[in-house]
Amino acid sequence: MSMLEKYFADLEAALKHKLDEKTTARRRFIYEIARIGGRMFDREWASAWTTVFVPFEILYAMGVAGNFIEFVGAMLAGNGLSRPFFEKAEAEGFSTDSCSYHRTIIGAARQGMFPAPDLLIGSSFPCDGGVKALLRVGEICNKPVFLLHTPYEQTPESLDYLVMQYRAMIAHITEQTGRTLDPDKLRRAVHNNNVAREHIVRALDLCKNAPSPARSDDWKNFIIYVLLGGDDAAVDVARIFHEEFRHKHETGVPGLPGEKYRLLWIQNRIQFKNNLIRKLEEDYRANVVIDELNYIYWEPMDESADPLEALARRQLAHPLIGPVERRLDLLKKMAVEFGCHGAVNPSHWGCRQSGGARNMFKETLAQAGVPVIHLDVDCVDERNFSEGQLLTRLEAFMEML
Amino acid sequence: MSEQDKQQQAHTLAGAPKMGWLCSYTPLEILLAAGFQPVRITGHTGAVQKADGLMHPNMCQFVRACLDAAVDGAYSTFEGAVFVNSCDAMRRLADAWRKYTDAKFVHMIDLPKGAGDADAAYLRNEFDKLRRALESAFGIDVTDPVIKQAVKLYNTSRSLYHEMNALRTDAPPRVSGREAWNMAGLFNNTPPAVWNQALKALLEQKRADAPPSVLARPRVILAGSPAHNPEFAGFVEDCGLDVVFEDMCTGSRFFDVSVGNAADPLLDLARGYLEKPPCARMMSMDKRAEAMIDRARAMGARGVVHHALKFCDTVLYDAPELKRRLEAAGLRTLFLEGDGTLGSMGQLKTRIQAFAEVLGGDL
Repeated sequence: MSMLEKYFADLEAALKHKLDEKTTARRRFIYEIARIGGRMFDREWASAWTTVFVPFEILYAMGVAGNFIEFVGAMLAGNGLSRPFFEKAEAEGFSTDSCSYHRTIIGAARQGMFPAPDLLIGSSFPCDGGVKALLRVGEICNKPVFLLHTPYEQTPESLDYLVMQYRAMIAHITEQTGRTLDPDKLRRAVHNNNVAREHIVRALDLCKNAPSPARSDDWKNFIIYVLLGGDDAAVDVARIFHEEFRHKHETGVPGLPGEKYRLLWIQNRIQFKNNLIRKLEEDYRANVVIDELNYIYWEPMDESADPLEALARRQLAHPLIGPVERRLDLLKKMAVEFGCHGAVNPSHWGCRQSGGARNMFKETLAQAGVPVIHLDVDCVDERNFSEGQLLTRLEAFMEML
Repeated sequence: MSEQDKQQQAHTLAGAPKMGWLCSYTPLEILLAAGFQPVRITGHTGAVQKADGLMHPNMCQFVRACLDAAVDGAYSTFEGAVFVNSCDAMRRLADAWRKYTDAKFVHMIDLPKGAGDADAAYLRNEFDKLRRALESAFGIDVTDPVIKQAVKLYNTSRSLYHEMNALRTDAPPRVSGREAWNMAGLFNNTPPAVWNQALKALLEQKRADAPPSVLARPRVILAGSPAHNPEFAGFVEDCGLDVVFEDMCTGSRFFDVSVGNAADPLLDLARGYLEKPPCARMMSMDKRAEAMIDRARAMGARGVVHHALKFCDTVLYDAPELKRRLEAAGLRTLFLEGDGTLGSMGQLKTRIQAFAEVLGGDL
């Protein structure tokens, strides 16, 4: 049993045990992620390594268990397991200036930690590094990588182009695995996605109340929800989040007792263990009430339309695609809607697509009266993590608020 | 700003309306057909100052230097700038250009990564969007016949460039790396008809001259990130190597395009640009390595100097695998990482000299 397979099996078993004791939204969410992660090793499913934003619903409807590499990078960091994989990648010549989510994956693949997948599928957004890392993993596994070019703009031509690529991706999967698309399963996945979307929108709406019924880590890394890919479990998880926060709101139970400050978190969380969130909550009663990447940016998908077109429309609506103004507008909207007093931007060292815009984050949110603190940090590689310095900066920021 | 930067800027500012461009996948033919002199935006080669307050310093020096020059007004006489969705940093540079400069026209071309029919059709549409944007912004017509004339003119540039490279196959090369680099640099800010004449004159002179009497040295090609330092190739040659080709967007990349002459010039352009030997951004290691190996063999090179700008992800992520493939093909490879400034290159001198000695020992 590989390290990764054991990790998912242990996580699933541990959470099953905890769920038997008490069901919380967070537990159920992580349990389902572990269960779906374990499919990578179930021969009933074909397996795919991907980048973060590929249409997991299509993979699901073809019996392919997809897993995006950044998730595994984060998981390794969260468990303190990354160091030997960084060292392996760096010894082979990969730059320490590259994104550590990706560097750890390349090192892990080199160490033989990953089972060879049946497929590798990448998307050109959000970043070059993800695609490059997937290409390197493909070379290690001696497998071709199917690349989706996600267009820069939302136009009829770009929609057609992306749908055409989805069709080519389906043909590629069939060629590589013999599996075909189940149209009914895909339609159900789109439907499930819409139902789940509605629950998440309502759950997030509840977090706009002060105090929020959620605390900082309840929604941590919720972006990995995409892995559920329209499975029935996706609806269950979303519904439980909604119900849990509705119950808390109706019964006056705050996520963070004494919530005083409300924060917007830009981009990803810091993945390895650290005390920043604890410090914010305990010392300042500061609660992260919305993570940028958790926001529901897309409209419900048209269930009467071609599902591929519906999925492509959702993809093209992503705020990380196209001119940065789309993202800036959304950040401002979130800060206002959630009544944020400030925003935290962990300026991940290897991230060009966000780093190049960080000054604009600050200027845009300042227009809404929301100050931003940039934390110069590597969110995955803790070797250069200087917690004391960051805590000092956070303290100064909180006192300014 | 160095004296060379000032000279380049002075040269650039003399003449017709200028339209800035950055990536070698920009269809200069459309800009020329629209009545502009395409001028490459290259920033400067000094220390970055104002731009470091506008974007994270972990962006590559090229992008930061371009923004630095722009906010200092270096391109204020330009009519605008045309960007290509080349990489994460270039997208953010386009955003910053809109936000922090007074550019009247900023356009982004989306560039697919594949080279099939659907990709060509998509890129054709992107080129048409550029055409329509220029027509709308400047009240002009950019017609197919005029684009075809521009294609013809630039195809002449490409043919001449290949003729120049043919003279570099001799040992020692009849055109040095320094001379070829300077010609490619001159192309960036010179009207193509003028540049064609200049290159023809150089070729006539070189053909008339006796072959160089110096001893042949180890032959290498340069590859990697854009390097706008005017001394880059010359610096490598001063370390004891003959530079015989530049697989870079500041070298051969624009000229390695073959544009056809069918009914639809925009589709010809799209196919031509997509089918050229790919840069690291195009995500095709097989094609990239194969083209580099073929070129090195054709030019009689025994090694590759692979240079990456610090923080240039597309090149940096390729570097280890590319080195493995090049060396498997018998090409010794020196990987250099720096910020593109002369100071950075100076620090690398010892390594390049050692590489020259190793290659010399192989002769």
